[in-house]
Amino acid sequence: MSDFSLNRRSVLSGAVLLLASTALPTIGWAQEPQKGGRLTVAADSEPRNLNPAIVASNGVFFISSKIVEPLAEADYEGKDGLSPRLAVSWEGSEDGKSVTFKLREGVTWHDGKPFTSADVAFSALQIWKPLQNLGRVVFKDLEAVETPDEHTAVFKFAKPTPFQLIRNALPALTSVVPKHIYENGKIEENQANTAPIGTGPFKFAEHKAGQYYRLEKNTAYWGKSKPNLDEIVYQVLPDRSAAANALEAEEIQLAAFSAVPLADLDRISKVPGLKVVTKGYEGLTYQLVVEINHRRKELADVKVRQAIAHAINKEFVVKTIFLGYAETASGPVPKNDKQFYSADVPNYAFDIAKANALLDEAGYKPGADGKRFKLKLLPAPYFNETKQFGDYLRQALAAIGIDAELVNNDSAAHIKAVYTDHAFDLAVGPPVFRGDPAISTTILAQSGIPDGVPFSNQGGYKNADIDAIIAKAAETLDASARTDLYKEFQKKVVEDLPFINVADWTFISVASDKVGNIADNPRWAVSNWSDTWLAK
Amino acid sequence: MRRLASIPEALVGLGILAILAAMALAASALFPGDPFAIKGAPLLSPFQDWSLPLGTDRLGRDVMAELFHGARTSLAVGLAAAAAAIAVGAVIGTLAGFAGGIVDEALMRLTDAFQTVPSFLLALAFVSVVGPSLTVVVIAIALSAWTGPARVARAEVLSIRERDFVAGARVIGMHPLEIALREVLPNALAPVLALSSVIVASAILIEAALSFLGLGDPNRVTWGSMIAEGRTVLRSAPFLSIVPGIALVLTVLGVYLAGEGVVEGTAVRKSLS
Repeated sequence: MSDFSLNRRSVLSGAVLLLASTALPTIGWAQEPQKGGRLTVAADSEPRNLNPAIVASNGVFFISSKIVEPLAEADYEGKDGLSPRLAVSWEGSEDGKSVTFKLREGVTWHDGKPFTSADVAFSALQIWKPLQNLGRVVFKDLEAVETPDEHTAVFKFAKPTPFQLIRNALPALTSVVPKHIYENGKIEENQANTAPIGTGPFKFAEHKAGQYYRLEKNTAYWGKSKPNLDEIVYQVLPDRSAAANALEAEEIQLAAFSAVPLADLDRISKVPGLKVVTKGYEGLTYQLVVEINHRRKELADVKVRQAIAHAINKEFVVKTIFLGYAETASGPVPKNDKQFYSADVPNYAFDIAKANALLDEAGYKPGADGKRFKLKLLPAPYFNETKQFGDYLRQALAAIGIDAELVNNDSAAHIKAVYTDHAFDLAVGPPVFRGDPAISTTILAQSGIPDGVPFSNQGGYKNADIDAIIAKAAETLDASARTDLYKEFQKKVVEDLPFINVADWTFISVASDKVGNIADNPRWAVSNWSDTWLAK
Repeated sequence: MRRLASIPEALVGLGILAILAAMALAASALFPGDPFAIKGAPLLSPFQDWSLPLGTDRLGRDVMAELFHGARTSLAVGLAAAAAAIAVGAVIGTLAGFAGGIVDEALMRLTDAFQTVPSFLLALAFVSVVGPSLTVVVIAIALSAWTGPARVARAEVLSIRERDFVAGARVIGMHPLEIALREVLPNALAPVLALSSVIVASAILIEAALSFLGLGDPNRVTWGSMIAEGRTVLRSAPFLSIVPGIALVLTVLGVYLAGEGVVEGTAVRKSLS
């Protein structure tokens, strides 16, 4: 008997050795970056304005982040989750009224001119603050940028501005563009908006409308022996099923931003030579949110909102609509955010009976046909998943006697209907969490936002407590006190439900096994790809 | 009717249409409640579970129920759009033909204007401006389909208006509008109605195409939207697109064959007489 067990053990250990030996070559192969080559990538949209300093959106970053660099980039390991780019260090003052950036030396623009603090000052004051969609909020109190020498920029704020917020805003909001190109004429009409000039590892080469964008290696890049690739080509493939086919035919080597539909991932992960990568998007978390128009008298009642929250089966949504590639949301900050996420919020478990009881309590008894009241439901058309969730929500509401009528619009009409005309009762929206609640999350609950601002509180919600927390956090300089305020914010929001968070999702990349160093930072798809390489 | 039965196409076409009509009428009885209700596990293949014979879609909705309720939408839209197109077309054609002169000129140039725009494009533009709902879709399709009946009606009226009974009506002092609509129009209607099968078939196809592009009424099941929904999982669950696709093909084929049969039947009758 003992002989037998000994034999079995030796057999097992032998098997382990055998497994390890087959695994070894792959590990060794993956570690050696190679030089050269052209990386062809699927692009599902074709932005015309490629200036990331003006349009801070993922569609623009996807292409222009390789050309125009920010002061710092998100990082898995770096201090405060950052790694330096054009700035090498940053420091906030005690009073919160100034931030000092030491800039990288020996950096040149793609046209050969040197990069200096004047470029940073110009970008901040002339573009980020007045023109940029997100910069308008974060840099609203920026008064001046002092440039004591060519490699120091000191941001001066009129009112104390939390350094934590500025830090969290660095990767997405601080793309630096050259002053000497933009200082003459109107910034919005500058030619460099469509053919950007930056300091990044790749230079803009050409854009053939409807076909491709081509970027070339910047041989004078400041990063030592970077970039690895010679060229990046963005093949315009608006049809989502086309990306999967192109990968299989080896016409492209990478499809980022879930260009391959979720339903196809299971099949494509079994195709030899292709890998499915779920990392590299943590800094770009999208939130599946039910937006609520509080002008409707039924929805102004918190019991009705809670009933709706109880009627939504979040696990079902994650499993069926996102096929597991998402996480259920407990509140306005996604679980993958390490700085701000708080689990200390009320939980609305999927419970139809409780939802019905809440609606009865609120005084909305079902009529003879079993229906309590009618609602207009507008799912955002940007993602398949938001549309499908709209279909699901209609059924979930039907189960508690709320008759929801779906209204489908195209993107422009949806934005107008929800955020300008307020012609909705419920809407399904995909706001983005950008690493700090003050950048794009608090505006979902804050009152007093002018009509027409997309992805903001346009449901007429007003809660003095929540407004007070937001205002206080905006001037709280101490990072931990500020974080605590946002934890309080999460609790209040989930208690009162100005909107309902259902799930948080990031994207999926599908790449050829030949592509190395992908997903090595939390904003990988929109970072500079200087260390990405291609095996021959 | 007996002659119609001797034409095999007509028989097949009418058979298909009868089945469709039965499906549409029985939808509520066989699949009561909301066809969008979630009934089981998502993406169940057909013929696995006999309570869900055609499987389920991405949310777990019963494909069979959707198919039956979709038949109702398709037929309703097809018939309503065709009826509207023929009514509008016949009236305009009759007025143009009967009045002649400047009215004729004006109405026929208007018809030309509508005819030069591709019918699907017109429907697409109309729905995307007004917003998708069943009535809007019906109007959009009718808007692009009334020109054919108008032209045929006008041609027919031009030959009828010189006949004796029209002159008779004039003599007894009937109002011209009354003559046009009560005396001329009914007599000009037969060839216009012969167009109906073509119009119904194209209306069903246009409705499906609009739904496929996401411009159908999202609160009703339509075959077009079923195909569109299935498209995202075409490689892993092709039945979601194939099942409504087959239904669509059979319907259009049925309408067309029945229409052919009717035309042929009347032709036989004419040649016999």
